[in-house]
Amino acid sequence: MAGRGTISGPLRRHGHLALAALMLLVWSFSSDDWAGALFLPVWVVATQLIVVGSLEAARLRRRAWLGQYLRDDSPWRRWLEGGALMVLRHQLVGALLALVLLVDLRLLSLAEWPLLLAALPALVLARHRLRRRLSRHVVAEYLPAVTRRLLVAPIAALLALAMVLAALWLPQPWLVELGWEEAITRHLAAGEGGGLLGVFERLAASAELTRQWAMQNAVERLHLATPVAVLGWLVLLLTQGAVAWAYVRLLVGAEALRREGRSPRRGPSGEPAPATDRETRP
Amino acid sequence: MSESREAVTPPAGRAPARASRWRGWALSTLMVLLLLAALEAGHRVLETRSQAPLYRVIVAGESLTLEAEAHAAFSRDLERLAAEAETALAARMASWTEARLAQAFAPLEAAVPGYLDWYFSLGGSYLRLAMGLAGDPATWLEAQRQRRLIEASGIETALADLQTAHAARLAREQRAVVEAMSATLLERYAPRSVSGAEAPGVAPLTIDLDGRMDEALLTTLDARRWQAAALGGSGIGLMVGRPLARRLAAGAVGQGGRVALRALATRLGAGAARSLASGGAAAAVTAPTGPGALMVGAATTAAGLAGLVGGELALLKLQEAHQRPALEARLFEGMAEARRDAAGALGLTVSAAAVRLAEGLEAPVGRSEPAAGEARPEAYRILDRLGLTAESDV
Repeated sequence: MAGRGTISGPLRRHGHLALAALMLLVWSFSSDDWAGALFLPVWVVATQLIVVGSLEAARLRRRAWLGQYLRDDSPWRRWLEGGALMVLRHQLVGALLALVLLVDLRLLSLAEWPLLLAALPALVLARHRLRRRLSRHVVAEYLPAVTRRLLVAPIAALLALAMVLAALWLPQPWLVELGWEEAITRHLAAGEGGGLLGVFERLAASAELTRQWAMQNAVERLHLATPVAVLGWLVLLLTQGAVAWAYVRLLVGAEALRREGRSPRRGPSGEPAPATDRETRP
Repeated sequence: MSESREAVTPPAGRAPARASRWRGWALSTLMVLLLLAALEAGHRVLETRSQAPLYRVIVAGESLTLEAEAHAAFSRDLERLAAEAETALAARMASWTEARLAQAFAPLEAAVPGYLDWYFSLGGSYLRLAMGLAGDPATWLEAQRQRRLIEASGIETALADLQTAHAARLAREQRAVVEAMSATLLERYAPRSVSGAEAPGVAPLTIDLDGRMDEALLTTLDARRWQAAALGGSGIGLMVGRPLARRLAAGAVGQGGRVALRALATRLGAGAARSLASGGAAAAVTAPTGPGALMVGAATTAAGLAGLVGGELALLKLQEAHQRPALEARLFEGMAEARRDAAGALGLTVSAAAVRLAEGLEAPVGRSEPAAGEARPEAYRILDRLGLTAESDV
């Protein structure tokens, strides 16, 4: 099994991650017409990927809680195990998160995509190291799920940091000494239509413009000291962290979906049996 | 707990797993569709609630409130009309310019017979001969032409007057074209105007076409920078009058006129120099018909004075009959060319003004402003700016 992994190469082993990132990349740079047409399928895929990852993490959490507090023979175990309600909640949150991710990705410049793509090898490497570290401590059955769960925060933080630094360096439209309305009318691409996606894009773009306008004018007019200005910019730009977070969750979800799909054995409750994850075995 | 069950029934576990996966996909699709439908509905509601953006357009002193669709049609019409403005202006100006040019050149043409009379007069011919013998007859002849043709006819002042009149006329015609445009637009869109009874809450986007037209007129007639004066002064009515004309006389049209004048002088000069070369100095010295023959005759035969004068006059008349039509034709040809040049220069200013007018009208309000204003940096780089502010703070 290990031989198969080395033979087929890293691309084969992590093709699902590359595929997910490629889908987002191609979609976010496709023309407006294509993007509008493919919006629904891409949204569904992104939602599903995010939901798979977050459901896995949520079930892990719930199980730990149940195992901690409830007796083995209590009927509550079954009720609280996580059913339709949990699934629905995660579907809803996942769909919204996917929407935010997709719309923000459409606005992202090409210069920031290398960061997003660089997150793939970083994710894979971090997963390997983390799994090796954890394998001595975590029950084998839960090792992959726990690894994935612990992976999201650091990778998302790193990616968010990188994107904030990139945003500090990337040029913005010059909005100093413009009125807000003027800034919006001048720099917002005046496009009618584009369907719902177009509306979301304009909405997101105007939100971003508003942020930049506010901060640029504050810095230039009030002559803020550099530390204060940097702090302000960081706080404003950290909203970009949402993109990084959603993106990493999507990747982790793709990972979970792949590994889960590989395993033929699942509990009747629909829970994955993580112990059968072949790829993550050390 | 699940271990044992899975171990016992692996194929039974596979089916629910796949089913649950499909269920997940189906659920995601459903959720996305639901969200999409909800958002779409919300968008629709917002769209109908906001009743589409209203645009307020001020045309010919009337304020029209247009819906988005009518406004789009209005913009298209405006663009088309602005594009048509050039031909309209050219057509309006062409006949006037033609008439005024003819009027301006009439004294010059009228001065030609007098010049030719002098040219072929006794005194003139002797002077020509003397200058031809002394050398450099071209400059002298040019000075003569300057004095006898150009100054006598007053073409210089006439052309200068024509320039100022042309500028004023252009301004008037432009105003007329713009007003006709406004009238057309008003007539076309006044019926489509939404009665402004409702929606007092949000002020519609206002486009002051009148103001923009005035601005466009200003930018066309002046090479910008006049806005400040117009704003500080007493309005635009004054701007298109005398001061503008005075200013324009020193501008492009003035230069065009000067070029035309210079061209006129050289063109006439070329013709005259040629005529001098063929029928002037060289011929005058050697030919039997020129005054030279007279001199030779006077020196060698010493004929009677009366006969001499009579013969001289007869010879001169002969020469005049021989050369005058050609010289006259050359002069008129040069004048016609100069006139065409002047007409071309004036036409160029007209079309340039029309193009600038069209540009000023077509350019969105927001975009025409930074071109006039001072240069604005294109991009804002946080790191650079912070570095700058740090320096200035320290």
